[in-house]
Amino acid sequence: MSLPCGIRNYNYAQDMAIFRTKTHWTLLVCFLIVVFTVPLYFSNYWLGVLNLIGTTIIAALGLNILVGYCGQLSIGHAGFIAVGAYTSAILTNRFEMPFLVGIISAGIVAGLVGIIFGLPSVRVKGFYLAITTIAAQYIIIWVINHWDLTGGFQGISVPYASIGGLVFDNDLKQFYLIMFFVVLAVFFAKNLSRTKVGRAFIAIRDNDLAAEVMGVNTLYYKLLAFFIGCFFAGIAGSLMAHTTYTLNAEQFSFTDSILYIGMIIIGGLGTTLGPILGVTFIRILQQLLIVTIVPWLGNTFTSLPAGFASGLAPMIFGLVIVLFLILEPRGLAHRWALFKAAYRLWPFSY
Amino acid sequence: MDQFGQYIITGLSVGMVYALIALGFVLIWKSSSVANLALGQIVLLSSWFTYSMLVQVNLPSYIALPIVVIFAVCLGWIIERFALRPLIAQPILSLIAVTLGIGYFIEGIITFIWPWSVDALPRLFPRDVVHIGTAVISQQYLWVIGICLVIFVLLTLFFRYHKMGVAMRATADDQMAVQACGIPVTRVFSTSWMLACVVAAIGGVLISSIGGITHGLVDTGLKAFSVVILGGLDSFVGALIAGPIIGLAESLGGGYLTPYMWGGVRDIIPFIIIIIVMVIKPYGLFGEKRIERI
Amino acid sequence: MKNKKLLIINTIICLALLTIAMPVLSACGPQEHTGQTLKVGIMTPTTGPAAEKGVPLRDANMDCIQYINDELGGVNGYKIEAINLDSQYKADQAVANIKKFTDDGCLFFTTSSSTEMGYVQEIANREGFPGLVAYSSPSNYHPPQHVYGQMPDYGDDWTAFTQYYLNNIWKGTGKPKMALMLLNNPTGAGAKNAARALADQLGVEIIATLEHASTTLSEMDALTQIKTLNPDVIYISSTPKPAAIIIKNAVDLGMYPKVTIGVCHAAMTKALVDLGGADVVNGVYGVFPTIVSWDENVPGVAKMSEYATKLHPKDVNNGDYVAAWAQSLVIAEILKKALDAVGYDVLAKGDKAAWEAIEKYGFQGLDGYDVGGLQSPVKYAAGDNRLGKSLRINQVKDGKITAITGWVEAPLIKYETFDWFGK
Repeated sequence: MSLPCGIRNYNYAQDMAIFRTKTHWTLLVCFLIVVFTVPLYFSNYWLGVLNLIGTTIIAALGLNILVGYCGQLSIGHAGFIAVGAYTSAILTNRFEMPFLVGIISAGIVAGLVGIIFGLPSVRVKGFYLAITTIAAQYIIIWVINHWDLTGGFQGISVPYASIGGLVFDNDLKQFYLIMFFVVLAVFFAKNLSRTKVGRAFIAIRDNDLAAEVMGVNTLYYKLLAFFIGCFFAGIAGSLMAHTTYTLNAEQFSFTDSILYIGMIIIGGLGTTLGPILGVTFIRILQQLLIVTIVPWLGNTFTSLPAGFASGLAPMIFGLVIVLFLILEPRGLAHRWALFKAAYRLWPFSY
Repeated sequence: MDQFGQYIITGLSVGMVYALIALGFVLIWKSSSVANLALGQIVLLSSWFTYSMLVQVNLPSYIALPIVVIFAVCLGWIIERFALRPLIAQPILSLIAVTLGIGYFIEGIITFIWPWSVDALPRLFPRDVVHIGTAVISQQYLWVIGICLVIFVLLTLFFRYHKMGVAMRATADDQMAVQACGIPVTRVFSTSWMLACVVAAIGGVLISSIGGITHGLVDTGLKAFSVVILGGLDSFVGALIAGPIIGLAESLGGGYLTPYMWGGVRDIIPFIIIIIVMVIKPYGLFGEKRIERI
Repeated sequence: MKNKKLLIINTIICLALLTIAMPVLSACGPQEHTGQTLKVGIMTPTTGPAAEKGVPLRDANMDCIQYINDELGGVNGYKIEAINLDSQYKADQAVANIKKFTDDGCLFFTTSSSTEMGYVQEIANREGFPGLVAYSSPSNYHPPQHVYGQMPDYGDDWTAFTQYYLNNIWKGTGKPKMALMLLNNPTGAGAKNAARALADQLGVEIIATLEHASTTLSEMDALTQIKTLNPDVIYISSTPKPAAIIIKNAVDLGMYPKVTIGVCHAAMTKALVDLGGADVVNGVYGVFPTIVSWDENVPGVAKMSEYATKLHPKDVNNGDYVAAWAQSLVIAEILKKALDAVGYDVLAKGDKAAWEAIEKYGFQGLDGYDVGGLQSPVKYAAGDNRLGKSLRINQVKDGKITAITGWVEAPLIKYETFDWFGK
């Protein structure tokens, strides 16, 4: 990372540190304070949007570990999120287990299902693996729709999350719960890239044959990547379940999987900041389009043809994805890094 | 026993529909190594355009259908020129994601121009059924099978003998080498996309005359992926053979297994086949095995 | 001590930003109500997979509200402010929409489809925010809480059709054999649950329950399976496109018109005739909870036609337009009943007390409002959250859907008493 002038690294710990200077630490603490206190003033709707952003960030971080760090293309992420959500719902609803048991089991079960569907990754890669994950998504959704335990087509209702005696029954409390998990997930994902596991993932992504030759056990690490990615998805699914109180297989469609891929690409693959930026950008864009811009257009220009406003949202969406890929294929995170570098070096551009 | 015959006939005919869509996919993969995930939406857009020519502008079919072909050519050229050419030689994930974005964009355009997203094409084929033994098959399916075979033959010959077809295969293999030989890669891409959109348009017209034009055409495109995987991503023969196999598996599996398992088994069979194929024979029945070197 | 100075400067900057940002961010807080209006949240699937129904539903909802505001002067003089949001037929958008409704002080909300209501009903029920769903499914209000159905649901469709079939069409002895062709979502599940609850009691034998996806191209294999079991009647609980395909396949196999075919209200629309072809679907029976043709002689049609022709001419003769126009009329009636009972000041606050008042005096105060004859009269009965309980049986004759009975009431089925009914 780029450091201010005069700061030198004298040992490995300093070299690998994420927060190297006191300024970094101060900014981090202030940022956390802001994140945890400002939403006290928000309305239910914006809190709901923030909760949605939070759970999506957790899932996107998992997908980023799988796709961005380890290079295993997976377009079936919504299916794994569904596994986590339903596990947590079934455990808390049908078996009356506490919420914490539910969420941890959701992660583990989703991770195990991820390993099962990730087994083909040791034989195929690239687009073939993507198709396998699409098939995984459809199979998972089909099982959910037809199994009595998961409620079939009617879905299943989910009780409030509760830890000890504290019941998370409104958006504000759920916000704190979700933010706690988001901070944990970001911390974990950021540190993953500094460890042996993270380096193995990156080696596999860059050239898995060479990695195998060098002694990296690709079978173990590919399956581990699937487990970790789907563990995150399971946690995110469980949080989603406990904030919408009802689950239905239609909430986890193939379009959502595509949306997750789009989010991490727009944000920037292979970085931890990428998914956060990408998710925030896309979710806020969605809300702005549907809640603000489209009704405004419909009211001010009532003589427009019927399909104008309703077709606008997907059009702008698709256009944003395409433009990002053409103009900034490395995503928003790269733009942010360039901005930071420019700020630091201005007016000297060397 | 007549059930069995009916299942076979139905399976084959539905499978050929899948094969038709799969041909469009294989065409783009074979010529530019791009996975076209927007194929379903292109099929839908062509179907709507056909509807608009036949019903809204009220042209007779012998004028409307050539116009649809010209429209498909223009669509292919536009997509390639503005969305894919800037991404030449980018990693595969970017290309897949860009086709996903194009798919969304086309869905938006469709809602924009035809906001009432369900309609029916006027009847292009007669309604009577043809009897084969005790089984029946409607004439639309016979047309689908016939046209699919014709397209298959034309495409195979094109790729084997025509100069542009050979250039396409070379480009899929190694773009830099092709450019070093002096073949304009951009023109190869344009041609392949234009051809693929024409195939998709023809497929769209046929499929919508069977079931009407609705958003579900996009999901039928997804089922075609299982055909593509089973047959091999870069093989026309594979698509043609895998299509009926998947159709038969659906039909027979659905017919005989439904009483014993949860309902709706038929919908999941293509995806289970994908997983099985991935584990046993990853490159499909007729695909070329990729040999990688460090 | 450059580091310390930098640290202090940074801390000051952050705190300053925080204090400046607070008032700006509080603009994201709950908004004030302005003017003397009654706010209602209307959620429709105007884009996405259900857009074909969502667009006329939205058009009719808003046109009727405009009619009520312009010509009738609102409800008791207060204008209705309808906040229309697009759910895109997706769960996360529906959830975000309902939060926006509660933030903006809406008194209650409506959705068009059972699926959208399914996504938000838990949130609505737990907060006590009343909701009205147009095309409902039994799972929306069994057990009955704060969600009400404007028209009978898919389970009632099946019951009404089966009763009509037994009384008027079935000429044999013993129990007729019925096969159910169900869409793989709550539309199909509604009919399946009703059949499971009442088939023995009514006297039909369900010989097959087969499901299909809405993207199906051919149901030949399912029909071949059924053909060997010799059904007398087939009931299709699905949307127009798969229903058209099933009927076409049944004709191809020679099963129709020997077997009677009935469809649910989702499929009994002009789209079925268009997609299937008038000659193919001729003679198919179906139920519908509103009038089926704009030529019918009921008082509500005149204004509806006038506004549709003026504002959305493409929606003229559309069946969904009728349902949503009726929904807006019911919205006005609910507001009127509540206003008469508690007055504007209680409702203006848009808080929990207002919601309780709307539910107790508005929804539960309905007693036989005839909705201009466009649908069954709406009336609340304790323990039964269906406001409209009657349907009509129709038949496709010469390419037009015509009613063949009057308003028949569908009995209440207490699904929650069965242990196979999910929670």
